[in-house]
Amino acid sequence: MFKKRFNRSSKREKPSIDANENKKSESNQKENVFPSSSKDYLQTIKDHTNNPSDLVVKTISPNITVTYMNSLVDDRTLKEQLIPELIRHKFETPESLKSSLFIPEVDVDDQINHSVLSMYNGTVLIHLDGFSQVVLAKITTTVSRALAAPENESQVIGAQVGFNESLSSNESLIRRYIKNPELCNERFNVGKQTNTTVAFFYIKGIASEQMVNTLRQRISDLKIDSLLDSAVLAEYIDDNSLSPFPQMLLTERPDRFCDGLLNGKLGVIVDGSSMAILCPHAFIEFFQSREDQNLRWPIASFLRLLRFSAVFLSIYLTPLYVAALTFHYEIIPQSLLVPLSESRALVPFPPIIEALLLELIIELLREAGARLPTKVGQTIGIVGGIVIGTAAVQAGITSNILIIIVALSALASFTTPSYMMGNVIRVVRFPLILLAGFWGFYGIMLGFCFILIHLIRQSSLGSPYTAPFYPPRFMDWRDSIIRLPLPFTYKRQKSVRPQNEEKYQPEPINPEKS
Amino acid sequence: MINAFLLFFVIHTTQIGVGIHGFQRVIYQEAKHDAWISVLLIGIATHIIAIFMIKTLEIYGSNDLYGIHQDIFGKWFGNFLNFIYIVYCSTAFFSVLRNYIEVVQTWVFPNLETWFISATLLLLVIYAFTGGFRVIVGISFFSFVLAIWLLPMLVFPLQFTTARSLLPVMENDIMDILKGAQSMTFTIVGFEILNVIYPFIKDKNNVKRHVHYGLLATTIIYLSVILVSIAYFSPDQLNKSIWATLSLFSIVRFPFIERFEYIAVCFWMLIILPNLCLYLWAAYRGSIRLVKVNSTQFVWIFSIVVFMLSLSVETRTEINAVNNYFSKVGFYLIFVYPILLYLLAVMKKKYTTRKERKG
Repeated sequence: MFKKRFNRSSKREKPSIDANENKKSESNQKENVFPSSSKDYLQTIKDHTNNPSDLVVKTISPNITVTYMNSLVDDRTLKEQLIPELIRHKFETPESLKSSLFIPEVDVDDQINHSVLSMYNGTVLIHLDGFSQVVLAKITTTVSRALAAPENESQVIGAQVGFNESLSSNESLIRRYIKNPELCNERFNVGKQTNTTVAFFYIKGIASEQMVNTLRQRISDLKIDSLLDSAVLAEYIDDNSLSPFPQMLLTERPDRFCDGLLNGKLGVIVDGSSMAILCPHAFIEFFQSREDQNLRWPIASFLRLLRFSAVFLSIYLTPLYVAALTFHYEIIPQSLLVPLSESRALVPFPPIIEALLLELIIELLREAGARLPTKVGQTIGIVGGIVIGTAAVQAGITSNILIIIVALSALASFTTPSYMMGNVIRVVRFPLILLAGFWGFYGIMLGFCFILIHLIRQSSLGSPYTAPFYPPRFMDWRDSIIRLPLPFTYKRQKSVRPQNEEKYQPEPINPEKS
Repeated sequence: MINAFLLFFVIHTTQIGVGIHGFQRVIYQEAKHDAWISVLLIGIATHIIAIFMIKTLEIYGSNDLYGIHQDIFGKWFGNFLNFIYIVYCSTAFFSVLRNYIEVVQTWVFPNLETWFISATLLLLVIYAFTGGFRVIVGISFFSFVLAIWLLPMLVFPLQFTTARSLLPVMENDIMDILKGAQSMTFTIVGFEILNVIYPFIKDKNNVKRHVHYGLLATTIIYLSVILVSIAYFSPDQLNKSIWATLSLFSIVRFPFIERFEYIAVCFWMLIILPNLCLYLWAAYRGSIRLVKVNSTQFVWIFSIVVFMLSLSVETRTEINAVNNYFSKVGFYLIFVYPILLYLLAVMKKKYTTRKERKG
C-alpha cells in the first residue's frame, strides 16, 4: 500500500523536482489532495480506510462516485433525498453540486485526511470525475436512546429530562432552553484514536473571556489517545487532578447546565457521554440543587442548610464516635454513657475496628446496589440493611448506636446533589476514622485542618474553590448555603468573573404590591 | 494582593492564640481584681501603636518593615535589625507551637509524644505555607469564622459568677495595673504582622479602619474573658491556675457533651494555625532580604530547626521562661520601638526632602 502511494506521488512530483523549496512544499500539499480521475480516487479512498466492510462505494452516473460508511449515515435521507437528487440533475462542478443539495451541512474539500475523517462522522463523499475536490454531505444517523428522566440527579419539582448520549440531541435540549444568538458553541476533536467531538458552550457577553480562552486552550492542548466520557475529560482539564475533590460539575440535567451557562459558567459536552461538564464550580455549589430555585425561598434555604449540615454529619459523626469512645469517654454525659456502654458491652472489638467494619459493609452494599440490576439492587438493599444490620448487633459485632450513626451518615452523604461529590464525602470519612482511632479529637482536628487547607488551596478554572466564603464576597452569600428571594439574587456570582454582573435591573421591592 | 477588610481577620487571628489560655493568672498576680483595667489599657495601647505603625508605613507607601529598616539605618545596621525581627517572629512561632503542645499534653493526651504533635502541626503549616499568601490569609479568615462560636460558651460559667469580686474598682496601685498591662504582652502581640503585610493590601486607604476593628475585636474578647474569669474564680484559684480559660470551658455542658475543654483544646489547633502561618510568613519575608532562599527551602529548613528546638524545651519552667523572655523583648519591640521608628522615619524624610530642595 505504501509502495503504491510512493510511486504515485513520485510520478506527480517529477515536473517540479527542479523547482525551488516553495514549490516542493506545494507539491507535498498536493499529495494530500484527491486525484481527479475516478479510478485513482477509489484507490485513494481504499488506501486511506483499510477498506472496511461497511464502506460503500457506488458509482451513480458515469461521473459521480459516492462513498460513505453504511453504519453511520441516515439511510432514509440517503435513499429518498440525496441519491435521487444526484441522479436527477447534471452537475458541472463540485461547487454547483454543493449549492443545489438540500442538506444542512454540505462542504467542498480537497484534503484527503480531513475528508476521510469526516466520513467517519457520517458524511457522504461525492466525487465528480475530473475534479480533485469532493463534496461532503453530512447525513449522520443518530443512534441514541430516547430522552429520559435523569437517573442520578432526580428532583421532585422541575423538568424531568436528562441528557442522553447523543451530542446533537443534547445540543438541541440546550438550544431549547436558551434561545439566544449569543450562546456560542465551539467544536473540538479530542483523542488520537477516537476522534471524539467535544462541544464547548458559553454565552458571549456573560462568560469571562479569559476563562473561555483558558478552557479552550486546555481542551485544544490535549494530546490524549482516547476520550470515551466527559468525566475523563473533566479530570484532564481541571486545575488539580491530584485532589479527590471534583473541581468541575458533572451533570445530566439540561436545566442545571443552562442555569450554569446563564450565570456565566462554561459548559462542555462530550459526544457519547450523558454527563455535561460545568465549570468553574465552587465547592459550596456542589451542594446546591437546581430545585432550590423552584421552591419557595425559606424552604429552599432550609433544605440547603439541611444538606450542608448533613455533609458535616456524614464526615464527622463516625470519627467523633470512635474518638469519644476510644479516648474521651469523659465528654459523654452519664445519662448517655450508660446506654452506650450497655450496647457496647458485648462487642469484642475496639471502636475503630467496629466502625471501620460497619462503614465498609455500608460501602459494600452501596457498591453492590450500583452494580446490580435495579430490581435485584433493591432486594439487596433490604437484605443488607435489615438482615446484616440486625444480625450484626445480635451477633455482638457492633453496637446498636453505631448502626444508627453509620446509617445516618450514609443517608446524609446521599443528599449531596452531585454524585461525584457524594463519593468524596463518603471516602474522606475513612482516613478520618483512622485518625480518630489513633489520636482522638486531636487526630480529627488534624484531618479537619488538612481538608480546610486543601480546599482553600484548590481552584476551579482559576477561580477560588472556597468562593464565595473566601475570598469573602458578602453579596454572593445571599445565594450560598441559604437562598434569599429572587429579587435579592439578581446578581451573578462574582467568582465566575462574569462580564455582565447583573442578571437584570431589579425593581424596587414593594411589599404592598398586590 | 488582598482586600483591606481581610486585615480584620489577619490582625485578630494573629493576636489570639495560645496566650488566651492562661493570661488571667499573669495579670492577676500584678493587678489583682483590677486586672480588667490592665487589659483595657493594653488594648488602648495596641490602638495607639497601630496608629504609629500605619503612619510609618504610609511614609513609605508600599514597603514593609524590612525595607524601611534598610532605608533608615543603611544596609548593615538595617539588616541587623531585620535579623532581630526575624528572630522575634521565629520565637513567636516557636513559643506558640510549644505552648500548644504543652496544653494538648496536659489536658487531652498526657502520653502523646512532643515530637509527634510538633511534626504533625509543622506539616500542616508547611502545607498551608506552600499554598502561598492567599491560602495563609484564607486560613485566618476561616479560623475566625469557624471558631467564633467558642466565645458564647462563656455564658455557661456566667451563671456561677459573682460580680462583687470585681469591686472595689481601682483598689490597687496604678503601677501594679500598668505592670499587669505589660505582662499581657505575650498574649496581645501579633498585630505587628501589619508591618509585613502592608505592601500586600490592595486598597491602602482602608487599612486604618480594618486594623482598628480587628484590634477592637481582640480587646473585647480579652476583656470579656478576664471579666468572667475574675468574677468566676476565687483569688486563690486565679493565682494558681495556669490555664484559667480552659478551666472556664470545662464546666460548659450540653445534653450530649460534657467536659467541653477536650473539644476546645483540640479545636484550638484551628486558632493557632493562622498564628503559626503568619509568623512563619513574616520570617520568610525578612529572610529573603538577607539570604537567597526560595519559599520551599525556607519552610523546610525553618521547620526542621523549630522541630529540633521544640524537642529541647521540655519542662513547664523552661516553657514559662521562654514566654517571659519573649514577653519582655516583645514589649520593647512592639510597644516602644514603633514610636521610635516613626520619629526616625519622619526625621529621615525631612532630611531627604530638605536635601532635595537644596540640590
